[in-house]
Amino acid sequence: MTGNLRSWPVVLALSLLSAPLVVMYAYLVIDTVTNSPAGSFVPNELTLEHWSFLWDTPRGRPNIWRVTLNSLIFASSSCLIVLVVSSTAGYVLSRLNVPGRSFFLAGVMVLHAFPAITLIVAIFLVLQMVGLYNSLIGVILVKAAIDMPLGIWIMKGFYDTVPWEIEMAGIQDGASRFRVWRSLVLPQVGPGMLALGLFSFLLAWSEFVLPQVLAPGNRVQVLSVYLASLIADDNNFDMALFKSVGLFYIAPVLILFAIFQRYLMNIYGGGTKG
Amino acid sequence: MNSSRRLGMVLMLPAVVLVILFFLLPVALTAVFSFTNMSTATGISGGAWQLAPNTIQRLRDQYGMGELAEKLGQPSFVVDERGLQALEASGIEASIVGELRAAHLGETFPSRREIERMIRGLKDRPSTPEVKRISAEFSRSLANARFGSEEALFAAVEAIDADLTQEERAALAAASYTGWSWTTENFRRMVSTPDTGRTLANTLAYVALTLVLFNTGFAMVLALATHYVPERPAGAFRILWLLPRITPPVIYVLMWKWLAWDTGFLSAVLDDFGVAPRNWMLGSSANAWVIVVLINGLVGASMGMLIFSSAIKAIPQSLFHASAVDGAYRWQQIRHIILPQLRWPILFVTCYQTLSLLTSFEFILLSTNGGPGGSTEVWALAIYHTALNNYAGNLQYGYGAAMALVLVVIGIVLSLVYLRLFNYGALVQRPLIEH
Repeated sequence: MTGNLRSWPVVLALSLLSAPLVVMYAYLVIDTVTNSPAGSFVPNELTLEHWSFLWDTPRGRPNIWRVTLNSLIFASSSCLIVLVVSSTAGYVLSRLNVPGRSFFLAGVMVLHAFPAITLIVAIFLVLQMVGLYNSLIGVILVKAAIDMPLGIWIMKGFYDTVPWEIEMAGIQDGASRFRVWRSLVLPQVGPGMLALGLFSFLLAWSEFVLPQVLAPGNRVQVLSVYLASLIADDNNFDMALFKSVGLFYIAPVLILFAIFQRYLMNIYGGGTKG
Repeated sequence: MNSSRRLGMVLMLPAVVLVILFFLLPVALTAVFSFTNMSTATGISGGAWQLAPNTIQRLRDQYGMGELAEKLGQPSFVVDERGLQALEASGIEASIVGELRAAHLGETFPSRREIERMIRGLKDRPSTPEVKRISAEFSRSLANARFGSEEALFAAVEAIDADLTQEERAALAAASYTGWSWTTENFRRMVSTPDTGRTLANTLAYVALTLVLFNTGFAMVLALATHYVPERPAGAFRILWLLPRITPPVIYVLMWKWLAWDTGFLSAVLDDFGVAPRNWMLGSSANAWVIVVLINGLVGASMGMLIFSSAIKAIPQSLFHASAVDGAYRWQQIRHIILPQLRWPILFVTCYQTLSLLTSFEFILLSTNGGPGGSTEVWALAIYHTALNNYAGNLQYGYGAAMALVLVVIGIVLSLVYLRLFNYGALVQRPLIEH
């Protein structure tokens, strides 16, 4: 682009920098379907044995499909709550004349910057006291609450781009503010809802610390906790098995990201935790 | 009350409820719990009163009530109505029971030998098995007895020592209580224990190194490099460097283990160059630090990369063209055009990542777990190990809450500072429809 400056040295440097990352991801796939001789990383046979966890449940571990179902329930419920709460609160902060609106907005910003993970000790004790420890409901509510400030902020941004004229026209025609929101404004922010929904689904799907602390039991285990406990078990070290479970676990993430990359990039660029 | 106001309150309600339940309440409770000695041993609900051996010891050593402690510690025997009735029911001869009631009711014996001597001296001369049975019924030893309330405890102790003073009652209740109680000990301990200084130093090193080298430094390198390559490869590189962020942490760290383990990729490759295989993640604390900073840094770099890239894109192209015509080198463009424009994005990323690095621990937990020998134990991970999970299984909720309170306070203060710094007030525009 910039005139007399060549770009191939930069591409080469970037490629070298990126090589380790590429190797790590390539072997994440390769190792799950091949065997290599000891001490070597060049595969010499194809095999499906590492995927046997899909039909054989190891003793003392929950069934993989049960765990996958838990993960699905966890991620989609959390995503649903974030969507409902953010699409309503975001609209209020963007458009409605409520008392203390700027206070709420500042509150959302502070909550977004505030590291909610520091509250985990108190939340852990409270869930134990009210009996929601080791239940999916408890961890879903906590995850949704923690992701909510970002969701509200993103939805407010999307509502801000909707032209006021749409709402004014609706009011002129005699619709209530609720009706205007529900039938006129909400369809306008559809792409935003899709992006936020995907994003919060992926966030919950990847979450490890919350379910590990708040719902570690076999009955409510999610994929991240399942995989972490496989890896932590010193008696059965089997890297190929870990990677197969890992690939099984990451596949939905990669597929969703590949399909909806255009929507998601906005949010990833907009300042998320990590 | 206009319609938008009412609708606004209804639509805000779910968010407000979640904020109260999962932000405000836990903040307050973190402070509350930090003033307790809650732990696995005390439980989190109320406790009971138990005269365990360590209770007796505390009464003697801590409260200086040696006499009371001795009485409670010894097996003691009281001839009381309860025991007499039990004897009647168990079929001991009525004359024996009658004599005990008439002549010895209310007497206390400090040991089994003494009460048995008294029983043998009775007119009916009970047989030895009978003596044992009788003395057993009068045993009022309180060792390891549990009581549901203070009153029950006092009633039982008064059977042994009838004249308990108010002071003794208080000491007894405090020493025998198994539940949690209020204390400021957590903060005293935090200030005095050497672990605090070490963990603090680790935390500062971890945040500073990761932030400077990767979250801003390497992120800037990636943003600048992808700026100077054609759009298609640039997009591919950005996606590639976004992968660590979208990969679930458990898998991401697993890949690092595969790379750095003693039977892993790095060891195998270096083996060909004559380097002995070793664990590059936990082999030494220097190894552990490199890996911890790399793991966190590559995830953090992607956020800076995207933010810096879009900021660079926003710079008018004419500036680059003009400088290129004037024969500027790339580093001159970077130094004089790009970096001055990136001041705010850099400040934003630095502020944002400082707070998130300070409080995040999942990558360290999954990779080194604070090891080897606690050399990568950072503050947030120490909280996890104190209050939520450790090998010993002795979880100290109160102390963990006190440690968490430090981060909560830092988090609140910094988020408020950031709010002022980035002037979010400017983002609030007045609604155009008033009703």
